[in-house]
Amino acid sequence: MADSVGRPNHVKTAASSPEPSPHTRKVWDFGVRGFHWLLVVAVVTAGLTGFFGARNALDIHLIAGTAIAALVGFRVVWGVLGGGFARFSSFLFAPATIIAYARGLLRGTTRRYLGHNPLGGLMVFALLAVLTLIVVSGVIALGGQDKQGPLAFVTPFAVGWFVRGVHKLLALMLVGMVAAHLAGVLYESRHENENLTAAMLTGRKRDEPGVAAQTGQGSWRLASILLLLGGVGITAGTIGLTARPALGVPTGPLDGAYARECGACHMVYHPSLMPASSWQAILADLGHHFGEDASLDPAITEQLRTYLTANAAERWDTLPAVKFRQSIDPKDSVRIDATGFWRRIHHNIPDATFTNRLVGGRGNCSACHSDAAAARFAPQNIEIPEELQ
Amino acid sequence: MISCSRATAIAVIFTMVTAGPGGAQSLPSARKAILDGYAAAAKQSDPGFHGFSAAAGQAFFLAHPGVSQPETPSCSACHTTSPLNAGRTRAGKDIAPMAVSRTPNRFTDFTKVERWFTRNCRTVYGRLCTPQEKGNFITFMESL
Repeated sequence: MADSVGRPNHVKTAASSPEPSPHTRKVWDFGVRGFHWLLVVAVVTAGLTGFFGARNALDIHLIAGTAIAALVGFRVVWGVLGGGFARFSSFLFAPATIIAYARGLLRGTTRRYLGHNPLGGLMVFALLAVLTLIVVSGVIALGGQDKQGPLAFVTPFAVGWFVRGVHKLLALMLVGMVAAHLAGVLYESRHENENLTAAMLTGRKRDEPGVAAQTGQGSWRLASILLLLGGVGITAGTIGLTARPALGVPTGPLDGAYARECGACHMVYHPSLMPASSWQAILADLGHHFGEDASLDPAITEQLRTYLTANAAERWDTLPAVKFRQSIDPKDSVRIDATGFWRRIHHNIPDATFTNRLVGGRGNCSACHSDAAAARFAPQNIEIPEELQ
Repeated sequence: MISCSRATAIAVIFTMVTAGPGGAQSLPSARKAILDGYAAAAKQSDPGFHGFSAAAGQAFFLAHPGVSQPETPSCSACHTTSPLNAGRTRAGKDIAPMAVSRTPNRFTDFTKVERWFTRNCRTVYGRLCTPQEKGNFITFMESL
């Protein structure tokens, strides 16, 4: 702990009487600075795409999230193997010290610390912990809700949907923590008359002759080996798990007769998009099928009934299967576009887009969802025709 | 109606069996068999039957009988006013042109022909079509 013998991070000079020294000292090494600013870019990107991005910005969000995971991984290794003020032990303070510093903050009597001050150090650990939780919850949400990523093979939709809420809450919490971090930087910069933002760029801070020499040299070599091995292992594991069949996602081909008969007039709706009761209601009234006569041979109708009932939404665990089934409009149970979920996620799209000849109506999912036929409806595969944007 | 369509079916199957020398039937002869079947059925219900008319078929294709849902007022609502063009279903699926010159296998599969006349006549005209109307329709599609 930093408060133990040596107190490398503890400056004795009173903050209220700064004696500017022409000499500066390297405080933040390249690892800490690179980590910090790359993390800023990754977190801002993830935050913007997550809070404000369209659904098809998911890939950018995932890249940013992956970068955050890698950066946090690096920082944890560097916190142990790095030297000087990069080392976790240099800013791990006893609770009493943290409380005393917080009290001093209220009175404006805090002292200068060359590295992280006790509250700042606590914030580093808290940020690393929350970022880790955000990454983990994001991977679970992605696996359960979108059936993508390393946990898709094992995560039920309901779990993914719930954890997505946790992911959002954690992200909001992170926004608050970032604000507190910025406020802290502002306070200390003013109070110590030192530009901490510039210090995080150059790595240099005003030297304090009274501060003991830093203990420990960083081991880039050991850290590199560890990160390389860990990175390769985690990447290989992620790829291996991602390749597994996703839980409750249909993969087989569609029934030939179904695709032929129903696909003659409209997109072949995957059986997983509607519950069995809706399919049965549709087949029971093909003579009045959405305003047209679509009657079929009784034998074929029976064959389709068997197929659709066996493969209806109840059997699957995808987002459309679960959400459409849960939000069927009892007064209009044969329409996907009458479900509460469909209406909610499409409410921003103007009527003119649907009626445009390029789309051909609300029923033509494939116009914008290139993977609609396979009932995947991945966020990344949403593309509204260019002419309509 | 039932006896009429049964008579059509028998006539068409009879013509199909007797038309080709056992080998693969050509598309025009398959279409002719279907037309002959409709002619036989038309003659049966109307002794004064004079054959099929492309002009009558065109009028039938373009007519707005005014009995249907607003989305399907006429054949041309989906097939466009020229059978030489590709059409589009209300659900956004392309329909190959109805004209035989553009889609050579049109009106060569009796089951398919009957199914679509049944469905679409009910949808647009609110009833089944007569053998005379079906024959006129096919004759029009052959004439383009």
